[in-house]
Amino acid sequence: MSETALVETAAVLIPTVPLAAFAVILLGALLPKERGFGGTTSTVAAIASVAASLVLSALVFFETWTRELDFVAVQAVWVDAIGDLPDLTVGILVDPLSALMALIVSVVAFLVLVFSKYYMNDEGETGLPRYYAALALFSGSMLAFVFSSNLLMAFIFFELVGLCSYLLIGFWYDRPSAASAAKKAFLVTRFGDYFFLVGVAAVFAGFGTFAFHGDDSLFVAAQSALEADETVLGVSAQTAVTVVALLILGGVIGKSAQFPLHTWLPDAMEGPTPVSALIHAATMVAAGVYLVARTFELYALSPTALLVVAFVGGFTALFAATMALVMDDIKQVLAYSTISQYGYMMLALGAGGYTAAVFHLMNHAFFKALLFLGAGSVIIALHHKQDMWEMGGLRRRMPVTYWTFLAGSLALAGIAPFSGYWSKDEALLAAFRNAANEPLLYIPFALGMVAVVVTGFYTFRMVALTFHGEPRTDAARDASEGGISVYVPLGVLGVLAVVAGFVNAAPLGIHALADFLGASAFYEAAAAGAGYVDGFEVSYALSVAALVLAVAGSAAGFKLYVGADEPLKTRGGATTRVLEKKYYLDHFQVWLAEDVTYRFSKLLNMFDLDIVDGVVNGTSRVSLGSGDAIRRMQTGVVAHYAAIIILGTVALVFIVGLVGGWF
Amino acid sequence: MVDELATLVPLAPEFAVIGAALLILVIDTFSREKHGAVALVVAFTGVAVAFVATLFHLAEGTDALLFHDTIVVDGFALFFNAAVLIATVLVLVSSTEYIEKFCPERRENLTEFAVLVLFAASGMLLMASSRSLVTAFIALELAALPSYALVAFAKDDKAGIEGAMKYFLLGALTSAVFLYGISLVYGATGAFDFVGIADALTGADGDVFGLAGLGVLLILVGLGFKIAAFPFHVWAPDAYTGAPTPVAAFLSSASKIAGFVLLFRLFTVAFPTQLDWLLAIQILAVATMTYGNFAAAVQSSVKRMLAYSSIGHAGYVLIALAVFTGADADSAFALGAGMSHLFIYALMNTGAFLVVALVDDYWGVGYTFEDYAGIARQAPVIGVAMAVFMFSLAGLPTGAGFLSKLAVFAGAVNSGFWWLAVLGGINSALSLYYYTRVLKWMWVEEPEGATPELEGKPVGIYAAILVAAVGTVVLLFAFDPVLSTATEAAESLLGV
Repeated sequence: MSETALVETAAVLIPTVPLAAFAVILLGALLPKERGFGGTTSTVAAIASVAASLVLSALVFFETWTRELDFVAVQAVWVDAIGDLPDLTVGILVDPLSALMALIVSVVAFLVLVFSKYYMNDEGETGLPRYYAALALFSGSMLAFVFSSNLLMAFIFFELVGLCSYLLIGFWYDRPSAASAAKKAFLVTRFGDYFFLVGVAAVFAGFGTFAFHGDDSLFVAAQSALEADETVLGVSAQTAVTVVALLILGGVIGKSAQFPLHTWLPDAMEGPTPVSALIHAATMVAAGVYLVARTFELYALSPTALLVVAFVGGFTALFAATMALVMDDIKQVLAYSTISQYGYMMLALGAGGYTAAVFHLMNHAFFKALLFLGAGSVIIALHHKQDMWEMGGLRRRMPVTYWTFLAGSLALAGIAPFSGYWSKDEALLAAFRNAANEPLLYIPFALGMVAVVVTGFYTFRMVALTFHGEPRTDAARDASEGGISVYVPLGVLGVLAVVAGFVNAAPLGIHALADFLGASAFYEAAAAGAGYVDGFEVSYALSVAALVLAVAGSAAGFKLYVGADEPLKTRGGATTRVLEKKYYLDHFQVWLAEDVTYRFSKLLNMFDLDIVDGVVNGTSRVSLGSGDAIRRMQTGVVAHYAAIIILGTVALVFIVGLVGGWF
Repeated sequence: MVDELATLVPLAPEFAVIGAALLILVIDTFSREKHGAVALVVAFTGVAVAFVATLFHLAEGTDALLFHDTIVVDGFALFFNAAVLIATVLVLVSSTEYIEKFCPERRENLTEFAVLVLFAASGMLLMASSRSLVTAFIALELAALPSYALVAFAKDDKAGIEGAMKYFLLGALTSAVFLYGISLVYGATGAFDFVGIADALTGADGDVFGLAGLGVLLILVGLGFKIAAFPFHVWAPDAYTGAPTPVAAFLSSASKIAGFVLLFRLFTVAFPTQLDWLLAIQILAVATMTYGNFAAAVQSSVKRMLAYSSIGHAGYVLIALAVFTGADADSAFALGAGMSHLFIYALMNTGAFLVVALVDDYWGVGYTFEDYAGIARQAPVIGVAMAVFMFSLAGLPTGAGFLSKLAVFAGAVNSGFWWLAVLGGINSALSLYYYTRVLKWMWVEEPEGATPELEGKPVGIYAAILVAAVGTVVLLFAFDPVLSTATEAAESLLGV
């Protein structure tokens, strides 16, 4: 107990401190203006709290690493047991996965907060306390989600993360587009979360526990149900596990913006750019994939669920990448690339590549945060211009941004030795190796391979348009970059984008991350449950092929767009149009919402307004015939009638109960 | 196969009604033109067959359990079936001409009207035969849903739509309460069938009584809505006033009777009086008859007056259950008296509403008492019929209503509840005021302006009114068979 007391305290404090900062900022906003505190104090409070989390996360990570910790640090009963059901608890689960994720989240959150000072404060934005309060809440709930020791707690903080993204995407709520984007993000992810919620209920009903860890965890319960071939929830255990896993996947698809619930994410670019960085790199979107990694042992029991995950991932990886090809807005390109990259993580998880997924999650967090902050720097320099056709030639005016952005781009494109290469290679390797046993996996694998070319192409199209060639507008000619709060985050993340990949450079024989995560246990679980291979033998041919494809795509994209001075899209044919229209999916959803649902609602509304309200508001000729004494009761207002009936019922129950001696 | 079919013979009335409805739908689907007349003939035939089958089973003394004991066909159910079917046939006969005159735009849809009436009637028949809370609820909804549509049948009539909406919304509300009550009772007893509930409660300790008692009260609310007992009657005046008048007749007669039969069977068979529901029924009885009569007295519209009078009558009938003391002869007599009153009430109340349908809507004279001035002298047959109905409703010996009401009060006195009989008597005396007021205007008063012209003598409506009036008078002299049949049915229900 005493040996781990330090880690326990630290783990509890990691989410608590930002949440406390949120509370402090919130209370500060309630104080009268002259005595309350404004933007500066909020900024300091938020940054300091996340800095504290960062230090504590590093400590927990270090301790977990050196002492191989894997335990539930704090366990408190939240709801007492009813019948034979177990207590509902809240707890802090410290294991390699949560320690690593907490470190990633706090690093990115800290750097994003520092950059926010430049992006928001220095630009004279108003509403800063609201902004920093929401960011602190966002970081705190994500960290709490990461440390959740059971599925119910995870669900609660998963929802809280969704709420924060709503608050932040809609930060500029006076812009209709931002307000609508926030609503869209909230509703679309909520749609997925309904499935998750049903899944949570199903887990409890079927397995009687929410726990992630220990001998009474839901994984153990599911495993033993499978072994005993029990009937769970009226179906066979195998079916139950698959259904539960797919229900949870519903929440993941919403949060991680996988097809077909990805449409909220590009719109979410309406939020401030640092928020986009945080959402995409380390919090909201990452929560989905993290949840699958956290419940991987459940998925490992169901080959069907794993295949679905792999297919969703592989398809989304390519699908989103193709849309990134035609976007003109720099943030939109990054948005679609995020969807695509999370597709790779899902592909890796579905193919049993636990290490690959977590590895790519980590690398992506760093390089995508870097790219967003780089894009933020460019956007500020160009006075909130986001169209890449209005940029060009910025590399001379903004050298730090350029070089760090380039490092991030190389990582994203998957070019060795930058970080993205190693993890993407490992994800593809997992799919490739397991496809030998499960030929269906060749399909997502092939989709993933094609997406490598596309990724390289759109990434370097973006680099070429933004930083190379000649400036295409006056704003681009006069651009300049900011000070220390730009350089520090970009520098740190730039270095990470270069070196982070080496922690698990499998082709070079480095397996540090896999060892740290204890990945072999997960490989064994997938091998036992789904017949996957037990560990992945490196394929140098695949590594080389992936690199060649990435380089080819990148070179083509760069060559085609460097020095381009007018949108090429005017030359495009039907394909471009389909891509630009995002495969018409938004149109489909809008059609579904407006033409189908809205018309139906309108019909209902008409019924409500004209008929019910007509009845409620109009004391009409029906009641006119009644005499005064009765009219007081027979008002003709249907709500009064309902009230009379209810009051009558209550009175009847009361009188009979009183006389009958019920009370 | 044949054996199984033979077990269904006791349900012949229900099958005849439902079969007629389905046949009309089939004919309507395949015929190029709308044949309202054909539909009515089929409907009439179906109801007639059902009525004959009911009388046959009644004479045979059929007592059968069907469908895993969820449905029971016994004298009690059959007696009420007869009353429901009489009201149904009167409404059907009078509806053709009424609809052609009152809402000609819906003439094409006469088939729908007939089908809706038949479906509602089949629901009411099943309510009488329900022996399980589940069947009871389904039957109740089967009766209710077509009724909502019937109230709104004249779709361009705002009052009709309004009445239907109120009826529907409040019906949904009380259905929910009813269902909740069912779930509480089920929770306390683990049984749905009436006898099972009684068994579970007899052996149970006091702990479940609170739960079951609450459930019983909530069920009472649902049924109280159906029979329009105060304060769950609020929908009734608006729905009756807004509905096409034959529909109002149907709702205030057949639908109310069906509610009562379920109430009687459920409460006497399933729920022991230890659950304190007797007090609730007494409260409802007194409140309902008092409120109904006072409210009827202040109405200026004849139709609305009849609506409130029908609420008042629900109060009288509730007395029959309010004096229930257990499975003994006194209680059986009281119940039988209540049943007889409902039977007679089906005739006289339907007849009175049909007179209003004729005068108000067909002749278009107007709906207030004043508008009725001088009608009787122009149409003496109608005037006489209305006199029969009004006096009979008031409880004067011009019709069987006098005897049935007397029997109800006698039953109350018999069981030792003389104060209920006294209250009922006072109320009856009060009702004389507003019933005779109609007759005063019809026979005595002179119309202020020109004498209204009464165009046409619709055969169907006339026939229905005359049948009802003759029936009311004849039963005054032949009341004993009705009362004895009812009492026997009640005795066999209670197992006396």
